[in-house]
Amino acid sequence: MEDKQDKFLEEWASGAGIEFENDEVKAAYQYRTNLIKDAIQLKKTPDRVPVMPLAFWAPIDLYNITPKDAMYDTDVLGQAFVDYSIDYAPDATGIPPMISHGPTFDILKYKMYKWPGGGLRDDLTYQYVEDEYMKVEDYDHLIDDPSDFFWRKYLGRAFGALEPFADMAPLYGSVEITLVNSFLCSVGTPPMQEALEALKQAGKTNFDWICKLLPYMGKIVSSGFPMFAGGATKAPFDYLGDTLRGTTALMMDMYRRPEKVLAACERLTPIMIKNGIAEAKANGNPIVFIPLHKGADGFMSDKQFQKFYWPGLKTVMDGLIEGGCVPCCFVEGGYNERLDYLGDFPKGKVAYYFDKTNMAEARKKLEGKACIGGGFPISQILKGTPDEVERGTKELLDTAAGDGGYILGIGCAMDEAKEDTLKRFIQVGKEYGKY
Amino acid sequence: MQELINAMVEMEEDKFLSLTKELLEKGEDPNAIFRAYQEGMAEIGRRFEQNEFFIPELIMAGEMMNDGAELIKPYLDEDAQAEKTSIGTMVLATIEGDIHDIGKNIYGMMMELSGFEVIDLGVDVPVDTIIAKVEEVKPELIGMSGLLTLAFDPMKAVVDKLKEKGLRDSVKVMVGGGQFDQTVCDFIGADGYSTDAVVGVNICKGWLEA
Repeated sequence: MEDKQDKFLEEWASGAGIEFENDEVKAAYQYRTNLIKDAIQLKKTPDRVPVMPLAFWAPIDLYNITPKDAMYDTDVLGQAFVDYSIDYAPDATGIPPMISHGPTFDILKYKMYKWPGGGLRDDLTYQYVEDEYMKVEDYDHLIDDPSDFFWRKYLGRAFGALEPFADMAPLYGSVEITLVNSFLCSVGTPPMQEALEALKQAGKTNFDWICKLLPYMGKIVSSGFPMFAGGATKAPFDYLGDTLRGTTALMMDMYRRPEKVLAACERLTPIMIKNGIAEAKANGNPIVFIPLHKGADGFMSDKQFQKFYWPGLKTVMDGLIEGGCVPCCFVEGGYNERLDYLGDFPKGKVAYYFDKTNMAEARKKLEGKACIGGGFPISQILKGTPDEVERGTKELLDTAAGDGGYILGIGCAMDEAKEDTLKRFIQVGKEYGKY
Repeated sequence: MQELINAMVEMEEDKFLSLTKELLEKGEDPNAIFRAYQEGMAEIGRRFEQNEFFIPELIMAGEMMNDGAELIKPYLDEDAQAEKTSIGTMVLATIEGDIHDIGKNIYGMMMELSGFEVIDLGVDVPVDTIIAKVEEVKPELIGMSGLLTLAFDPMKAVVDKLKEKGLRDSVKVMVGGGQFDQTVCDFIGADGYSTDAVVGVNICKGWLEA
């Protein structure tokens, strides 16, 4: 039987369905995607190491655009990513929609983030506001009925304009002519009508934005540059901790109500799988990014990692593989104490993009098991000289490149960069990274 | 009293609080209870350093300490507040432009548990506010936190201002956050950096002992 992941990777790498500007860029696209595919699959040594800096806000910074302009002027945003892709020619480029659209959040009165133009200076990138968006008493609601929890509790806490959703009747009343009235009446109240109007406007604003952005993304891909991921999902524990309970509250929950934490993680697990697969399929790119947060070295003990973090993450990764996707964990912080767990998958099915983990150890522990990537310090790009970057890049390649199974990258989602150092990094990667 | 300390160290929050109440009602000296807390904290700190305890235990310990102190408060005389001894003072802030506070809070808590007095200025704190506070309280230490790389430049501005004002030699500067390393530390001109709260606390202890 044909392996679903092999098939999806093959389709993506072929560039099928993309209208390339000419045969030369088509070949360049296929060259890049195949470098990444080969690095992931560990079946053959690629021509060279693929170079994939995680460009997040960096394209905006490199062209001296303020984050506010990027969030409020779609053309400026789109053009910056086109320019970055063509000028820097990474093997996988940044994803413009990750910058997001300010006006949408203005309409919704987004509370969970501050952004330039929404509570932050124009020159700052958006930042998360840590809070308990899910209260202790919501555990049972989440576990019993996640969708109902999200509609009627979460939306109103995350978005000021959607607070009236808290008074909406459950959807289950909509089945019978005699019962449907109470549901409809709850939707018809003046505050709810106002909230629905805001949601409608925000949806329209976001849709128009993405329609305006799509030609730029088309231009990037048709110029030969794949994007570094097709979708994203989370480890269930991070999903619960990052934006639902908050770090502090979840860490206490591990002692105060461990059984609820475990039940919530279990309930969220299939949702995390479905989300990742759906996004990857919609974007035609099998790579699903999973940023790892609260399971890192120093955050919890090995025993806690085994109990609360790893089972959920492992199941999500297995589910993604089964769905034909490539789980690519963005391993933030250090994972030096956890490397043995990461090898627990069939050969060539997963990838790990590291931040502070010791790359020599990662190579040793995951050799012949999984693709590794990243590991170059952002500090060198921002505060080092091009020659220092060249030396550091060569050292990293000597350590990590092996005979395949490595993706050269910078160990964080890059918000800022410098032209001379980043260009040298990419150039050295392409030349010195030849196998 | 040992039972109280054990309950704290074993993270038995309910037992810890009920034992505190019991002891207070029996007329135990509130200062003695407070000293037991400190003993418990010292043990928690020790386990932290030995990688037996991690962030969940630290947060739980901080929470127990706060809740316990609330219970003790009404039993203390107006003028006989719980004894407080400090081994040094740190002015602590998340630097301007950055609103993340979890790392700073955990570090601040660790510093307090280790006997430092911490003056926490909050998040997104302007360079001049930090300098003004340093001039006012003359701390031994400045701690600056930042999750984002955009934190590097304003941190350097703080150190440059300290030099300008002739304050640089009177204070040690500690910086921390996910993307800090020696390159960044040198660029800022800080005395030390850490990506880990415990390491960061130990560096500060080392400075004051030197």
